[in-house]
Amino acid sequence: MDNEMTLSFLAVSENESLARMAVTSFVAQLDPTIDELSEFKTIVSEAVSNAIIHGYDEDGKGLVTVHAVREGDVISVAVKDEGNGIPDLKKAMEPLYTSKAEMERSGMGFTIMESFSDNLQVESEPGVGTVVTFSKKFHTVKMPQIS
Amino acid sequence: MNYEINMHLDTIAVIRLYGELDHHATEQIRDQISRTILQGSLKTIIWNLEKLNFMDSSGVGLILGRMRELRAVNGQTIILNPSNTMKKIFQFSGLSAYMMEKKEEEAIMHARGIVNG
Ligand SMILES: Nc1ncnc2c1ncn2[C@@H]1O[C@H](COP(=O)(O)OP(=O)(O)OP(=O)(O)O)[C@@H](O)[C@H]1O
Ligand SMILES: [Mg+2]
Repeated sequence: MDNEMTLSFLAVSENESLARMAVTSFVAQLDPTIDELSEFKTIVSEAVSNAIIHGYDEDGKGLVTVHAVREGDVISVAVKDEGNGIPDLKKAMEPLYTSKAEMERSGMGFTIMESFSDNLQVESEPGVGTVVTFSKKFHTVKMPQIS
Repeated sequence: MNYEINMHLDTIAVIRLYGELDHHATEQIRDQISRTILQGSLKTIIWNLEKLNFMDSSGVGLILGRMRELRAVNGQTIILNPSNTMKKIFQFSGLSAYMMEKKEEEAIMHARGIVNG
């Protein structure tokens, strides 16, 4: 392992940008392209907002933990909550499925996370919580120096 | 998060979004955007994302929600200047058809039914 970080924060929506900022700094070591970085930030934003919105119903009390590890050019991230859990994971991961349509959620979070990551795993148990784990390989090509 | 709404002829709203559009930000701006839109005789919303640095699925929810509000008047939605990542998000969400490769001025002309060249 080359580097590791853990960030924990309360389930309030202000902290979504905090989580993005922290992981952005963490991957800066890999010199990612703009697109790689924005896809990576999007995955983290989806997982963290799910923990806050669905895991804890934005109660401002529960703790969300983001744990990131770098091994070479691969970053692995786990986003964890000890909140409501997901009763039917298969259904939850279908595109356009949302349990909070009245909040204008679009049900695209898991689809986006799966498309932008190299592999995504979700473990969840009702009443216990949810852990979303994913990794992403960064293919940064160094630009030739112009002399 | 910041935004700017400019009305054209009472029927076209151009919404420019600035900064980062996430769940927190959409909750801050949704009501006011919605209220502005529901005034007057709006027919078209043009979302200009040129100055938007980040967007997640919350942006999809915001745009789909306003499309729903415009449905009663058979309104139209145009999305301009999404980043590569935003383009992919709109594609996954079935919103590809609403993205337009046009400048803001051209999109306004298009919405007014004025075809150039
Ligand atoms: N951490 C979590 N805890 C409890 N339930 C969750 C969690 N994450 C997701 N879910 C459930 O899975 C569903 C689908 O999640 P997904 O992120 O795909 O869509 P969404 O959050 O509802 O909408 P969007 O992400 O487009 O705003 C949610 O509506 C919710 O019911
Ligand atoms: Mg979600």
